[in-house]
Amino acid sequence: MVEFKNITYNYSSKSGIYDVDLSIQDNEFCFLVGPTGSGKSTFLKLLYFDLFPDKGDVRVLKYLSSKIKKKDIHRARKKIGVIFQDYKLLKQRTVYENIALPLHINGIGRKKISNLVNEALELTELSRYSRKFPNELSGGEQQRVCIARAIVKNPDIILADEPTGNLDPTTGHKILRILEQINKEGTCVIMATHNYKLITEKPYRVIELDQGRVVSE
Amino acid sequence: MIDKIAFLFAEGLKNFLRNKLTNFLCVITILINFTILGTFFVVGFNTDSLVDFFRSKYTFEIFLNDEVDLKQSNTIVTDLKANSAISSVMLIDKEKSADIFLKEFGENVEDMLGYNPLPISLKISLQKDNFDLKKIELLIDEIEGYNFVDSVEYRGAYIDSIEDRINLFIFLFLVLVIGIVFISIQMISNTVKLSMSNRSDFIEILQYNGASNMFIKIPFFIESILQSTIGAFIAFLLVNYSFIVINSYFNLNIQVDDVLWAWMIGLSLIIGIYASNRAMKRILL
Repeated sequence: MVEFKNITYNYSSKSGIYDVDLSIQDNEFCFLVGPTGSGKSTFLKLLYFDLFPDKGDVRVLKYLSSKIKKKDIHRARKKIGVIFQDYKLLKQRTVYENIALPLHINGIGRKKISNLVNEALELTELSRYSRKFPNELSGGEQQRVCIARAIVKNPDIILADEPTGNLDPTTGHKILRILEQINKEGTCVIMATHNYKLITEKPYRVIELDQGRVVSE
Repeated sequence: MIDKIAFLFAEGLKNFLRNKLTNFLCVITILINFTILGTFFVVGFNTDSLVDFFRSKYTFEIFLNDEVDLKQSNTIVTDLKANSAISSVMLIDKEKSADIFLKEFGENVEDMLGYNPLPISLKISLQKDNFDLKKIELLIDEIEGYNFVDSVEYRGAYIDSIEDRINLFIFLFLVLVIGIVFISIQMISNTVKLSMSNRSDFIEILQYNGASNMFIKIPFFIESILQSTIGAFIAFLLVNYSFIVINSYFNLNIQVDDVLWAWMIGLSLIIGIYASNRAMKRILL
C-alpha cells in the first residue's frame, strides 16, 4: 500500500527526512511519532505528493513518486483522505458543504452525496451541526468535520497530521476513537502525533522519527 | 457528470456573488475598455461608410470635340457602358450644358455669345464594388487618347488623398484596438490573479481533496464569463445610447452596427477566458 524506498528529502534549512526505508500494509493503523521538526509532516506530505523526494521512490497505492505526472496527482489524492492540524475548512461553507466537497470533486450525484454526508456526520457525531459554519464550532468539532470530510469519499488511506494537536485530552481521545473505527472498516490510517500519552497502550505500530531518521519501529 | 457540471456552475455563480469587490473591479475594467473599444468600432464602422460614400461620388466627365455629333456620342455612351468598372453614363448634350450654365451663372450662353460653344459631355459614374483606382486611371488615360475626346476632368488625386487618410485612420484604429485588447487582457489577468491569491486557501483545500486543475478553473471561468458579459453589455448600452444622443444633438447620422452587442460581448468573452486561463496557468502550474 505505502512504500518508502530509501527516501531522502532535504529542505534548504538542512532539515527533512533521510534514508527512510519502510512499508505500511493495507488496513494497518500506524502512528508516526517524534518531536516537533522530526520530519513527521514531511513524511505525510511525501505521501500525498505535496513534496517529491530528492532521492528514492515513494509508492502510494499504484502511484510512484518518480513516475506520477503533476496533472495526475489529483487522481492519487482522490484515494487519500488528509486530516490537518489546522483543519483547512472552508469558512464560508456550512459543515454539510465542507464534507460534501470531495464528493462533488469525485463527480458523485446529489442524492448519493446526501446519503454519504449524513453517514459521515453520524460517525463523527456532527449531525446536529450540519447547517453551522466552521467558526460557530469548537476546535474539536472542527477537527471532526475535517475527519468527516476525509472519510466521506471512502479513501484507501487516511493521513492525519497532528489531528489532536490543538485539542484537549478528552477530545483527543474521541478523535482517536473515530480514527480507530474508520480503520476497523478497512482503511489504512497513518497518524502523526507528538502526543505520546495518547498512543500508549494502543496496539498499533509506532514509527518514531528523530531529526528526519527512523529511530525505532 | 451533470451533477458535477451543475455544482461547478453553481460554484462560479456563488463565487461571483461572494467576491463582490474583486468582481466589481473586473466589471469596471471591462466596462471602461469596452466603452472605448465600442466607440472605436462605431467610428470604424462609419469610416467604411465614408469610403463607400466617396467612392459613390467618384465620377469623371469627358468633354467631346466639337466635331462629334449626337449620334456619334450615343455610340460612345454604348461603348463606355460595356466597361465593367462603369456603373452609369449620362450624356449631357449642348442644350443641357447651356441649362447647367444658366443655373450656375444665371446667364444664357446663347444670348451672351449668339451661339452655344459648350461641348457635348459625358458624366461617368463608377462601380463601388471592386473599386480599383489604378484601373480607373488607366481607363481615363485610354479615354484621353481617343481623337473624339477634347479633355477629361476628374478628381481622382483629391479623392485618393482622402482615401489614403481614411486608410491611415483605419490603421491607427486597428493599432488602438489591439492596444486596448492587450491592456484588457493584462488588466483582467491581473484581477483574476488577485482574486485567486485571495482564495489561495480555497484552491489549496480543493487540491488536497483531489480536485483537478480543470475543476478548480471552471468556477473562475464562469466568473470571468459573468464579468465579461455584464461589463461588455453595459459598455454596449453606454456606446449605443451615447451615439443616439450625439446623433440627435448634432443632427448626425452615425450608424451603430446592429450586431455591435454581439461583437462586444463575444470579444470580451474571448479576452476574459483567455486572460483568466493565462492567470490560472501561472498560479496552478
